[in-house]
Amino acid sequence: MSTLRTEVQFTESKPESYLSRVTKRFLKHKLAIIGLISVGSIVIFSFIVPLFFEYGSTFSDFSYLYGSPNSQYLLGTDSMGHDLFTRLMYGGRISLIVGFSAAIIPAIFGIIVGAVAGYYGGLADNILMRITDAFLSVPAFPIYMALAKLMGQGVLNIILVFSFLGWMTNARIVRGMYLSLKENEYTEAAKAIGVSNARIIFRHLLPNTMAPILVSMTLTVGGAILSEAGLSFLGLGVPPSTPTWGNMLTNSQQDIFLAPRLVIWPGIMIFLTVLSFNFIGDGLRDALDPKLYR
Amino acid sequence: MRTYITRRMLQLIPLMLIISFFIFMVLSLTGNSLRSLVAGNPRITPEIIKKLERIYGMDKPLLARYFYWLKAFVMGQWGYSREYHDPVIQLIKSRLPVTLSLMGLSFLLSLIVSIPVGIYSALKQYSFLDYVATALAFFGMAMPIFWFGLMLMLLFGVKLGWLPIGGYSSVGMDTANFFMRSLDHLKYLILPAIALGLQGMASWTRYTRSSMLEVLRQDYVRTARAKGLPERTVIYKHALRNALIPVITLLMLSIPMLFGGAVLTETVFSMFGVGRLLYTAIINSDTFLAMGTLMVLAILVVICNFGADLLYAIADPRIRYS
Repeated sequence: MSTLRTEVQFTESKPESYLSRVTKRFLKHKLAIIGLISVGSIVIFSFIVPLFFEYGSTFSDFSYLYGSPNSQYLLGTDSMGHDLFTRLMYGGRISLIVGFSAAIIPAIFGIIVGAVAGYYGGLADNILMRITDAFLSVPAFPIYMALAKLMGQGVLNIILVFSFLGWMTNARIVRGMYLSLKENEYTEAAKAIGVSNARIIFRHLLPNTMAPILVSMTLTVGGAILSEAGLSFLGLGVPPSTPTWGNMLTNSQQDIFLAPRLVIWPGIMIFLTVLSFNFIGDGLRDALDPKLYR
Repeated sequence: MRTYITRRMLQLIPLMLIISFFIFMVLSLTGNSLRSLVAGNPRITPEIIKKLERIYGMDKPLLARYFYWLKAFVMGQWGYSREYHDPVIQLIKSRLPVTLSLMGLSFLLSLIVSIPVGIYSALKQYSFLDYVATALAFFGMAMPIFWFGLMLMLLFGVKLGWLPIGGYSSVGMDTANFFMRSLDHLKYLILPAIALGLQGMASWTRYTRSSMLEVLRQDYVRTARAKGLPERTVIYKHALRNALIPVITLLMLSIPMLFGGAVLTETVFSMFGVGRLLYTAIINSDTFLAMGTLMVLAILVVICNFGADLLYAIADPRIRYS
């Protein structure tokens, strides 16, 4: 046995691992690299740069309302005398936190639903998939509004609301993959030596589904940031005491006449962030699945 | 075909029931509207509230209340709005034209942009215009629609002054004839429709492109070419028809999603449509109004689902006979 293994190692040069191939393909994707650099900059901008600034997110200068940009206030102030630049940085924190959490939490839930449906099949599959279909055909945004009102404003509630209607795509992906994965010989072998169902589901099969889940999660981040901005814009998301790029636009219908820059900057930040995440998602999809490359 | 349609229609009933029960549950959890209604009145004692609740059947279990409400809903009794003091059904009816014309126009706009551009992109893959279309699609998919609406408003309404920045009709247009009135509405609808349609333009372009690319690689396309058919026939008769099948389904299913965008667009452009109505209803905890509006939305979902199935069956004979 051991001699055989040595032979193989000698005759073939060390095969490239899956991970290094994926990394290579990803690094060749120019847009994905731009996206990665840009997300990195936004993270630094919103989490690290504020530490070196004198104003907090609640600072306001009442003697300088709707102030134009100067050396003290880089982008000017808003109707409450808040420094726009500072609030942009703090707003980024919330957008990123909401985006990441709303991608990870529903993915976990979706994986569980999809794994159970795909692995066990039969009645469980039927019931779970009908529920998934029903949830998929519900237009998310109006339901977000009703749920956000029900649960009250707040970052945590927004994440919960998004998780509630965000798990279906992942459930479908995972179910589809489990249907074919469970037919594999190694599943059979694991069963034969008495491995428990739960262990097969999470240890043996789950790693195989990670690639598409990762792609779908990356693309969800952008969607969640957009939805949060929309809800906060309507006054149903994060309360005004915590600045977010969305709720900085709440008064935009007046601001657009008085100081358009108050409307322009938060929107540009949302746009750039979502764009960067979509670039990364696209690059990941191409890198993880060469069949889709075109 | 007939059995297929009947089967699909029957399958829509549980979907409708699940969605309506879901809506009912969420809104009955948002608070006891009776209690909040009389909360400010000091003369109303807890006993009176109890009595009132018994009269209105609010002490019954959730499921019983749901079926009671469902029956009333089917009979057309949708209750009264607390804010507007009008029957809900009447309010929705009067606001529906605004929303339907907004959604219709933006749907049309996305359709006539995305399908031809998507086909072109697929046929001329990696050409300059394909890259431009891809860039614009990325742009559209990352754009928050309400902010895009605000930017359109800033550019065309405030800076250039070409189009009105909000509302739905000009003063004094009530007496004009139908044609003039529609033309007037159109002026107000252009910017919101572009804002609302952007997402569709972007994502449907990508979808059409990839669907077309997929089909062009199929064996039957190669066969058609090998038979010596002219390229036009191959593309428009053999490839396009098949490429559009999944696109049609996507289009139908994204109509209800447009409604969510309509809430934002109507708010940005101060249009009083159903989306705005839903927003005010939710903000004011106007339970019956919110319920009625969401149910109209649920009906839209079910109709569009059915429409998608129907078109799918028409376009793809394999579905009908399975």
